[in-house]
Amino acid sequence: MLTRELAIAHRENGRIIPDRLTTAAHAIYPELARRMIAVYESGIRKTRQELHRSVARILEEDRDCPIRRMNAFCKLLDEYGRFDRGKPKQAADLRRRVFAIAAQHHPMIAEPESILDHSESAAKQSIARQLGVDWPELRQRLYEDLIENHRLSAFETPQDPIDLLSRYNVAQTQAALLDATSIRIEATTDWKLILRYAKLAGLMHSISETKNGYRIELDGPSSVLRHTHRYGASMAKFLPGLLSCQGWEMIATMRCPRKGSSNRGYPAGPILELNDRSGLRSPVARHASVDSEIERTWMEAWETESHAPWSLVREGEILVRGQRVFIPDFVFIRDPSANREPSCHDRTVHRQAGRVLLEIAGFWTPEYIHHRSESLTLFSDIPILVAIPRQTARAWDGVPWSPAHRKILFGRHLKPKDVLPILEELAPNP
Amino acid sequence: MTQDSTTGAIRFDAGTLTLQGLPASAVKLLFSDVPWKWDPRSDCWRCDALHYRRIAEIVRLCQIDLDVPIASEASVVFPSMNLPPLRMEQQNGLAAWLSTRNGVVVMPTGTGKTEVALQAMAESRCTTLIVAPVRDLMYQWHRRILRGLSYDAGILGDSVMNIRAVTVTTYASACIHMPKIGDRFDLLIFDECHHLTGPIRSDAARQSIATQRLGLTATLEPTDAAMEHIEHLIGPVVYRLPIMEVRGKTLADYDVVRIPVKLNPPERARYDLLAEQIASYVYQRREEDPAFQWRDLSAESLIDGTASKILKAFREKESIEERAEEKFRVLEDLFRLHLGSPIIVFTGSNLMAREISIRFLIPCLLSHCGKRERLDYLEGLRDGVYPALIANQVLDEGVDLPEVKVAVILGGKATTRQAKQRLGRILRRRGDARATLYEVVTEDTNEVKRSRKRRRNDAYPRARHRPS
Repeated sequence: MLTRELAIAHRENGRIIPDRLTTAAHAIYPELARRMIAVYESGIRKTRQELHRSVARILEEDRDCPIRRMNAFCKLLDEYGRFDRGKPKQAADLRRRVFAIAAQHHPMIAEPESILDHSESAAKQSIARQLGVDWPELRQRLYEDLIENHRLSAFETPQDPIDLLSRYNVAQTQAALLDATSIRIEATTDWKLILRYAKLAGLMHSISETKNGYRIELDGPSSVLRHTHRYGASMAKFLPGLLSCQGWEMIATMRCPRKGSSNRGYPAGPILELNDRSGLRSPVARHASVDSEIERTWMEAWETESHAPWSLVREGEILVRGQRVFIPDFVFIRDPSANREPSCHDRTVHRQAGRVLLEIAGFWTPEYIHHRSESLTLFSDIPILVAIPRQTARAWDGVPWSPAHRKILFGRHLKPKDVLPILEELAPNP
Repeated sequence: MTQDSTTGAIRFDAGTLTLQGLPASAVKLLFSDVPWKWDPRSDCWRCDALHYRRIAEIVRLCQIDLDVPIASEASVVFPSMNLPPLRMEQQNGLAAWLSTRNGVVVMPTGTGKTEVALQAMAESRCTTLIVAPVRDLMYQWHRRILRGLSYDAGILGDSVMNIRAVTVTTYASACIHMPKIGDRFDLLIFDECHHLTGPIRSDAARQSIATQRLGLTATLEPTDAAMEHIEHLIGPVVYRLPIMEVRGKTLADYDVVRIPVKLNPPERARYDLLAEQIASYVYQRREEDPAFQWRDLSAESLIDGTASKILKAFREKESIEERAEEKFRVLEDLFRLHLGSPIIVFTGSNLMAREISIRFLIPCLLSHCGKRERLDYLEGLRDGVYPALIANQVLDEGVDLPEVKVAVILGGKATTRQAKQRLGRILRRRGDARATLYEVVTEDTNEVKRSRKRRRNDAYPRARHRPS
């Protein structure tokens, strides 16, 4: 990830536009990327400083390349490699010995004026000789543990020079997010995954239902007290996960720029817009849908015939209580052709009728059952059907059941004909 | 969250306090001076952990039936105390702080702020977090606590995360980790507390429930805009000892000697060329946009290649000034002149520090130095193992140095705060000996301006020029 010091973005009508290299506008960059990668590939045993100078020389061919972009590429290329840290303890010991010996020759004078002066070159040669090396080598080893003198020991070549450019583009957007105070996402499909990534990044959410899905607002504990970009790092961390999801649009609000510079029409700070079609390639592989075998066969069984008026949607609904979220595996909707009115499934809002949630209990460890039963208690007023494999039913003994919840035991497969009567019971036709 | 809702509860939550289970009217009535804010995201009232002292006071006074399990009342035992008796001004500083246990003590560098803080810790005997500007100072606090209170304090920072009842850390680490550790300390000590600025850094104070707070600084002017901010985060200035009061008493007298150096012909030619490039660019930009300011350039350089080149030219120009060849000759002279007396050389950049280190083969204290190496250099300078030491900003503040009588400044930034702190380094009194501060300045460049600005400061009343 890039630091704020390497971030490049410009502002246009209150929008933050992170630096982005595209083949259309930056046609020479694939070639430059190829050469930068070659510098590292053939640069094993070279110092970081030498590698960075070579990279800068290559990028200077683009007359418009700002210094920060050069530094950012150096940082990203470094991340593909491993560096030899030059044995800090040995280098420190060497320094101490050299300086202690050198004290006898202090001060070293470049052009001695009298025989009382210590000649710099003579002194240095004599010190080096005492240590059994020559001065140029000693000079090189004296500070070999410094970060810029670390030597490249390994380099993992990106598959394609374009990968480096994609990584750069994502990294610049991440760096821009370091200044974000909040993120708003309109999600139409992958909300479960999006929420999981948000939770992994340690962000707090507010969720409300929209016509086509959910609006998820993300920030952190102090955000309710002031506009703070302290959670910007978490938002940057969240981005790669988000980029791997589908069906979302994001607006991040950034902190206000320093006093004095205008921010016409955007009193809350400039914004950064992004969506799943922005073309930024996530470094994270798309999370395979967590379909278990049971869920898949159930889905297939359901789809073999119509069960009107009920239809089935996978992970179609988010249940929210404060910062606790429960997304059951399926939701049954009575007569889905009727318009779906936005409603928030919070305790403050009345739920719409004609919906039953289905959770298939995939595990039977005590932790899992404890966690599930906590979720169920939290949403005790919402019709939920819990399908439990018969051979693990004993593990659920002692779990209290609310009147709005039902459990259904199943053998090899969960069958629609067993489920339908319970749906009518939990959500009778009005 | 699934807490029994009949009685209310206050919890520490990631740097904030949450309150649940009291009706809004009761919250408004009881906590009229606490900025509780309703947080719909988690159905609770929320405020900065900073307000814990006041909240706990109200809960106690009004005997509210609230579950407040977060008071860190554990007391700390210091195995044995070995603190030097405090001088009068230190005693006054300590007494002033103890009367409220929330405030800032302003004392010039070299007058023993650390001793005041150690004594405050000894009096408080509670969980304590000490926040220092840089790693070096963090380790120095660790040593001072070990020596003075025989306590092996925990360390948070420098990739170490060992938290104990008394822990030392840096501002950078403190503000990152405070959401996790903000309920673990009852006393916060902010060394060089003028660092407590900026929206994120302030969290180091804001996100802690500590009821006792001590700020230490040499340079908090009553006019500082930051003053109000610090007062909110730590408390008001409770004691102030002006620098003039201690001159000649606790601190040695000193002279400031300015040594002008000239650029050599190739340096001068390159310097003038760069200056010309920059001037014509600025002139051209002003033609296009009369409101153009120099500081806009760094913003523009991010996206504009030409602006970027100009900024590069500017940096090269600065570097020519800073690393002028003749400065090395001046150093040769000063080293010869003060042979036998330890010297500290301050540079404006790491690069220059390292160049001098390699040129004269004398140690340089940079951030790469490990704890042991640094200690070895500082002790070695004191014991005469090394004739001189080079440092950049690392030593700007508070690092305990062996006494030196001679310091050299080779370029640097022109802020009075930095000057004061740098001066503080050589102001150690030893017998009647006076100290000398040499300022080596490149003539006819911006450095001359910076040096003048630096002297506009109450610590520089007797600047003398070196007769050439």
